[in-house]
Amino acid sequence: MIVLSKIAQRINQFTHRVGQVISWLTLLLVFLVMTVVISRYLLGIGSIAIQESVSYVHAIIFMLGLAFTLQRGGHVRVDIFYREFSVHRKALVDLIGAMLFLLPFCGLILFGSWDYVMASWSIKETSSETGGIAAVYLLKTLMIIMPITLALQGIAHIIESILVLNNAHGKSSSKGES
Amino acid sequence: MVEWIPFIMFLTVCLVLMAGYPVAFSLAGTALLFALMGMGSGHFDPAFLQALPNRLFGIMQNGTLIAVPLFVLMGIMLEKSRLAEDLLGSMAALFGRFRSGLGISVVLVGALLAASTGIVGATVVTMGLMSLPTMLNRGYSSSQATGIIAATGTLGQIIPPSIALVLLGDTLSSAYQQAQLNMGIFTPKTVSIGDLFVGAIVPGLILVIFYISYVVLFARPKLDIQVASQANHGDAQLVSVLRNLLPPICLIIAVLGSILAGAATPTEAAGVGAFGAILLAALKGRLNLSRLREVAQGTAQVTSMVFLILIGAAVFSLVFRGFGGEEVVEQFFASLPGGVISATILVMLVIFLLGFILDFIEITFVVVPIIGPVLLAMGLDPIWLGVMIAINLQTSFLTPPFGFALFYLRGVAPDSVETSAMYRGVVPFIFMQIVLMILLAIWPQIATWLPSIVYGR
Repeated sequence: MIVLSKIAQRINQFTHRVGQVISWLTLLLVFLVMTVVISRYLLGIGSIAIQESVSYVHAIIFMLGLAFTLQRGGHVRVDIFYREFSVHRKALVDLIGAMLFLLPFCGLILFGSWDYVMASWSIKETSSETGGIAAVYLLKTLMIIMPITLALQGIAHIIESILVLNNAHGKSSSKGES
Repeated sequence: MVEWIPFIMFLTVCLVLMAGYPVAFSLAGTALLFALMGMGSGHFDPAFLQALPNRLFGIMQNGTLIAVPLFVLMGIMLEKSRLAEDLLGSMAALFGRFRSGLGISVVLVGALLAASTGIVGATVVTMGLMSLPTMLNRGYSSSQATGIIAATGTLGQIIPPSIALVLLGDTLSSAYQQAQLNMGIFTPKTVSIGDLFVGAIVPGLILVIFYISYVVLFARPKLDIQVASQANHGDAQLVSVLRNLLPPICLIIAVLGSILAGAATPTEAAGVGAFGAILLAALKGRLNLSRLREVAQGTAQVTSMVFLILIGAAVFSLVFRGFGGEEVVEQFFASLPGGVISATILVMLVIFLLGFILDFIEITFVVVPIIGPVLLAMGLDPIWLGVMIAINLQTSFLTPPFGFALFYLRGVAPDSVETSAMYRGVVPFIFMQIVLMILLAIWPQIATWLPSIVYGR
């Protein structure tokens, strides 16, 4: 049990750290879009590289922010009943949901995208636009990283749920907040 | 039997959602289980799932959806830096001379600011925390106060620039393309987020006018304590009021105006809006590192939440299609007596009911791609359809006992406010919503006139 909670703790730390970095990218996104706007409307020049970097940053934010959002409980639930559940019951829903829905979903994205991403790597795929960013294969790699980070955080939640359910014989303990 | 599988899958998802596991995973996971069973029994061709990487990459590259994090950042910044609160206070001071001044201010602030966050729960909670105690203090009955807050908290959904309209516009635009391709039109007309923004302006203003008229005529506070004290303040106060009032309003107008003028894309306008919000907060001295971090994290979370639903809905729709769901829906509508009118009414009813369990985002991503192409192929105007869906959903969020807005407002309302009082309070607003929908059904021009002027469609 102690080993398990250590693992969950490690994963939580990792997710938290990634999330912190990702969050700052939202400000970078604003800055980049402003750069596009100013250069286009005030200076009359357009840069495809900057345009594309906007879309890269945007993709990085939401693809790598998914696990962080999961950790913070930011993914919407239909909580008509859930909100009234006991801690024990909530843990049960989270446990079953993670095993039945979250992990298979991550598996589908991971294995479903593997060949697609590898094909891109094998030719070091570049932007179809001239002057674009020559790293489309790196962008596509997010489709591999995203399910891994998400599954990791899912595993942390599974461990936490099991710990809660295990404790439920005694007193109901509050859910591990990171 | 086989042709029922899409429907069974849909009903199963609705049931599964009730358990309370995050919507996006429930959608994708349930669909995946159905796909596995279908593969086992030979009713599902795994080739349908092979389209997933392409769909996912399409979502990553979708340029118009970049407006989402930017609008979210703008909304969260205005809220966390308390600029929204200042705006409400200033408006209340400005209109404080009138007996219904506070009510009018709440409606106007809701219309202006609720727009940008785009999540019903968050907006209603913010509006509730900001204005409910003040309204109760100033003699509004608890049913009047909660009715006004719940209604204006959802109003922002249909007033541009709102995230809801961005998402709906993007989904409708691909549905419209598909409808025309299915009809054999290979040079399809397009509909954009900008079109939907413009289309929603007149109906949105009508609602605001309805709400304000109601607030002025029927929902008046019993006490008049504030009126006397407000009247004494002179021009000095007016200046400070304007100082609070003008910048956020200019910001919203600049964002909206640049889109309407056709000068900027929604993404560019949203970027300017987000930058403007940061600038305003900084000028007000409300910006520090921890607040900036808070806003950035909030933005990353809301953005991820939206896009995960989009990905989950993509998995769901691929499986739905794999089981022949689209043909089933199409045949069903074709066999429906009464043609496009009864089809529209039915769809609106289903969306209304789904609004009890699903938020705007889920319905936009799951339901609209399924029914959109069919209805549009029957000849409906995409802008009109988008506006109707938006108003319909807003009504659904207000309707007791399941309306989203009521749940969230209940969460932040003091115990002295009875739930039954809240239910009574929203009834007049539901009525006004329905009136507007009937008006729109009779005169679709309410939604389509302005876009035809602006864009010459």
